[in-house]
Amino acid sequence: MSSTIAAMPEPGRRAKSRRRRELREVTLLIATFAVIFGVGLLRPSFMSFSNLEFMVLSSVVLGLVGISQTFVIMTRGIDLSVSAVLGLSAMVFGLLSTTNNMPVWQALPLCMLVGAVLGCFNGFLVAWAKIPPIIATLGTYSLYGGLTFIYSNGLQVDQVSQDFENFGNANLIPGLPIPTPVIALLIVSVFAWFVLNHMKYGRNILAIGNNASAAYNAGISVRRTLLGVYTISGALAAFAGLIFVAYTGSATATTGTGDHVELQSIAVALIGGTAIAGGRGNLAGTVIGSVFLSVVITALVFLQVPAIWYSAGEGAMILIAVTLGARQGAKS
Amino acid sequence: MKSLLFGGVWDRALALILIALFAGFCVFTPGFYNGFQGTLSITEEFLPFGFVALGLSVVILTGGIDLSVGSISGLAAVIMAILVKSYGLNIWAAVVIAVAVGGVLGWVNGLIITRLRVEPLIATLATNFIYSSVAVALAGASPPYGFGAAFGVLGTGAVVGWVPVQLLIFVVMAIGFSVLMTRTGFGRRIVMIGYNRDAAHYAGVSVASVERRAYVISGLTAAFAGIILASYYDAVRPDMGDILLLTSITMVVLGGISIFGGEGGILGVTLAVMILGVLRQGMLIAGFSDMVTTMLTGAILLSSIAIKNLFSSRGFDLGAAVRRFTALRRPAKS
Amino acid sequence: MSRATGLLSAAGIDKSFGSNRVLRSVSLTLAPGELHTLMGENGAGKSTLFRILAGIHQPDAGQISLDGGPLELRNPCAAYDHGIYLVPQEPALLKELSVAENMFLGMLPTIGRFPARIDWKTIRVKAQDALATLGLDVDVRDDAKHLSIAQQQLVECAKALLRGCRIILFDEPTSPLTSREVGILFGNMRRLREQGCTLGFISHRMDEVTEISDRVSVLRDGAVTDEVDRGGFDRARLVRAMVGRELIFDRKRAHRQPEGEPVLSVRGLAHEPVFSGVDFDVRPGEILGFSGLIGAGRTEIAEAVCGLRAKSAGTVTLSGKDITKSSIGDIIAAGLVYVPEDRARHGVILPMSIRDNATAGQIGRLQRKTGILNRKREVEIATDTIARYRVRARGINQPVGQLSGGNQQKVVFGKWMSTNPKIAILDEPTRGVDVGAKDEIYKLIEELSAQGMAIIVISSELEELIALCDRVIAIYAGKIAAELHGADITAARVGAAFLGAGTH
Repeated sequence: MSSTIAAMPEPGRRAKSRRRRELREVTLLIATFAVIFGVGLLRPSFMSFSNLEFMVLSSVVLGLVGISQTFVIMTRGIDLSVSAVLGLSAMVFGLLSTTNNMPVWQALPLCMLVGAVLGCFNGFLVAWAKIPPIIATLGTYSLYGGLTFIYSNGLQVDQVSQDFENFGNANLIPGLPIPTPVIALLIVSVFAWFVLNHMKYGRNILAIGNNASAAYNAGISVRRTLLGVYTISGALAAFAGLIFVAYTGSATATTGTGDHVELQSIAVALIGGTAIAGGRGNLAGTVIGSVFLSVVITALVFLQVPAIWYSAGEGAMILIAVTLGARQGAKS
Repeated sequence: MKSLLFGGVWDRALALILIALFAGFCVFTPGFYNGFQGTLSITEEFLPFGFVALGLSVVILTGGIDLSVGSISGLAAVIMAILVKSYGLNIWAAVVIAVAVGGVLGWVNGLIITRLRVEPLIATLATNFIYSSVAVALAGASPPYGFGAAFGVLGTGAVVGWVPVQLLIFVVMAIGFSVLMTRTGFGRRIVMIGYNRDAAHYAGVSVASVERRAYVISGLTAAFAGIILASYYDAVRPDMGDILLLTSITMVVLGGISIFGGEGGILGVTLAVMILGVLRQGMLIAGFSDMVTTMLTGAILLSSIAIKNLFSSRGFDLGAAVRRFTALRRPAKS
Repeated sequence: MSRATGLLSAAGIDKSFGSNRVLRSVSLTLAPGELHTLMGENGAGKSTLFRILAGIHQPDAGQISLDGGPLELRNPCAAYDHGIYLVPQEPALLKELSVAENMFLGMLPTIGRFPARIDWKTIRVKAQDALATLGLDVDVRDDAKHLSIAQQQLVECAKALLRGCRIILFDEPTSPLTSREVGILFGNMRRLREQGCTLGFISHRMDEVTEISDRVSVLRDGAVTDEVDRGGFDRARLVRAMVGRELIFDRKRAHRQPEGEPVLSVRGLAHEPVFSGVDFDVRPGEILGFSGLIGAGRTEIAEAVCGLRAKSAGTVTLSGKDITKSSIGDIIAAGLVYVPEDRARHGVILPMSIRDNATAGQIGRLQRKTGILNRKREVEIATDTIARYRVRARGINQPVGQLSGGNQQKVVFGKWMSTNPKIAILDEPTRGVDVGAKDEIYKLIEELSAQGMAIIVISSELEELIALCDRVIAIYAGKIAAELHGADITAARVGAAFLGAGTH
């Protein structure tokens, strides 16, 4: 028997990378609590139950688009159109609830279908027409945003049906004080985690992000995987839009796009530890990151920091996350 | 050979499209044709996009992209307005300073991209939001307006009675950029970097330095566009540049410049500027909403690239195609 | 899905990349259970042949057959299905995924129907077992980016075994390995052979080849020149098959020994761990050769001298001026140019015209004060290049990508020589160039040196070095192994030096 090649000097390197990932998640959690308590000291109403509930619910919307963005970024792509899809969904289904009395259980699958179709078009542009994701989704961002304007025709959603309102605000299981949207996010997160870690499709996504030609040579269908990723992204964004309009009861033609939700979703994915170059994702980080960002934004509102600085802050966060992430990737 | 011929073919096709489009609108849209002078004055509505497109072309030719042009133009306009209204500076001095600020912002973009090694996409996406926040902050609740007739000449004035000042400036700039790209060492280096960054490096080109200059140029033209808009509306708003990005990128791509760098020229971009401008104005006059035109622009953007991909002179093997759809995202080490 | 245990043969394989003819009617047979080695110089076509056998490239002509039945391998997956696996020269493991997952890429086993869950347990167990049979003690759950090259190679082997492949081809696996790692690799290869696998192996290194091979096929310029069985291994015979060819030009170098101050002085140049302790001088009019294997460090040394690569230590002086820290542009302006090895990636910009490429090395010099290029001078340089180097083209505006390899190389030459350098480093100047153009390039090199230019020629073709050089430095594993002058420059001596014979 030939001698063995020595084991690597530090046993359990995988444990190390997992520890690093957990460190990030823990750091984010600590940071979130730090902000909550810190701002709470200055403005006690920040820690009131209703505000906490508010922050949690707004992180649901952000978390959903964050998850879609995470999937896309893992394939080395980017999806700028998520905010437009969100806005379109919010407007369309908000209106449908009031004017057409569409019940929630009908609206839900329908909105995800619409989102899937819109996302599928993105996927087609990227995987078949070979248009770089940034340009493709920039184009569809304007297309879908325009559709929202046309559909709404100047209308706004000021209220939604009781049905919708319940969906957005009430607790799903009586007695358990967890609003439905939160449960929805939990279900989606678990499902996303399952797909990513325990299904071939999810592993294909990571393989493509690492090295698309090696994945192709190994027999993975790159085109179909990409198509699927953007489709999922669209469906989740639409779902997020539905939850948004159900929870807030309002939607305008600039919902989503106005707050630059696409930028927020990218920030949330990057802060959560997903690598911008693709091939490495952190769903838990994204979800915690969305709670963190949501808390931070609410805190800024409470501290009466002018709204204009929010997107600057998000932009700065992205730059920092990318620069630090690059260093970390090089080190490990 | 194919790309050279194609460059010619693409330009010629654009020229034909422009003529057909213009003629079509004249015939089918009442109110479109308003006499010779009226027709020329239409250009005032869309030339700001063209200014941005010229600078953006330089960046895209290197294989990069600048998503912050909209916010730079808004910020420059706001800075100019504040300098004039709050500090009493001479308007022309303020204009020069504002444009210079645009250059500085572009230089910051360049630093982030070349020194911090953040890819242009993410870097300018992030700086876009940072600059726009600064613009909103500076503008305050009621941004200044009313800058006087002399300033207004830039945006709305005419030379010799019927040639709009904007058009004159644009033509001069277009010629200047064309000379820059085809006849100067700088332009040659830009194209080399766009086609083959490594080979340019081996030939002794200081790639990082040239790229930074490209982003400075983009910032300068964006700022200038903001100034023109300020002159046209005789007012500034921090978000007045937001609409510039999508249309300008479309003008560059429709003009035949490859999104991956290297290929394409200013003549095509100039024609594309006219085409998209005429299209925009014609549709507005015909009664379509602004939104529809924006959507149409998005559609044109996507189709131009798709068509260009079909006829790409870089060959079409799957390996290259697989690499290309991630092409705008460069690896951390290039 | 047949698991091949039999004969894999290729007959009459032709392959060209663009105008570059890499394989000419090559035939090869891998008998079951043998370890068959391909030898040859850089660019002889060995990698390409293996890649064709593994389905990565498709031949332009010729037929591959397995057990007598014809085979069409459109992609690597088809090759896997027939039991053929190529361990690539540069391992392509996905860095962020675990070793186990890498090994099962594209064939992850699942449990259940809906949803079909990935069977991580089986993956881990089978992967760990596969590695154990190869003696690799690595936790398969670790990320692939933590593995050394030697470990990655073994993982690739394991991948092959997991797919049930019995024909495993190794594309130059030993170049990046230490001798201990080579020993381990060979042990595994022997074991695989005992188990009935058929192995293909590419190497330059004579001692490795004689140690492990059952049969050796030698490729030269895309054709098989010799096939030897184990009993008949004779170093001289192999070297001759690899490099010996009739001298296509009857050039007897005058072997000058120029006097005077060196135009280039290099002292203590190092870039750990690639090379270290490099010292040499070059005088005007002298032609110095760098010989060595791929990976020995010659290109890296040249790149470090020219500012294209960082140095960890050492100084470089050009005509008395210290250029150790200078930028590439400054070095070019000072009179030192580098004609790169990888022509398509670093030498020419394929979509640009001959004129643009020919002037690419001196854009600064061609600029007037306004920044505008001197068009007249550009045209002059380009036209001169075409004329002087006899470039076969339609005109200076033709895109360089349309020219043949040899003509492209001439344009690259023209680009650099038109800057009138004091010294030029030519890295594999005749690679991928046909015989006629080669001769022209040799004449050019001699002319230039006669005019006083100092030249360094990096080459893997012994004959080239023998014919051209006044002095030859042999580089082995990043260090200067030998320096030969004048009449000492013979195939035997140089070959021995760069193949490492007699060293360590």
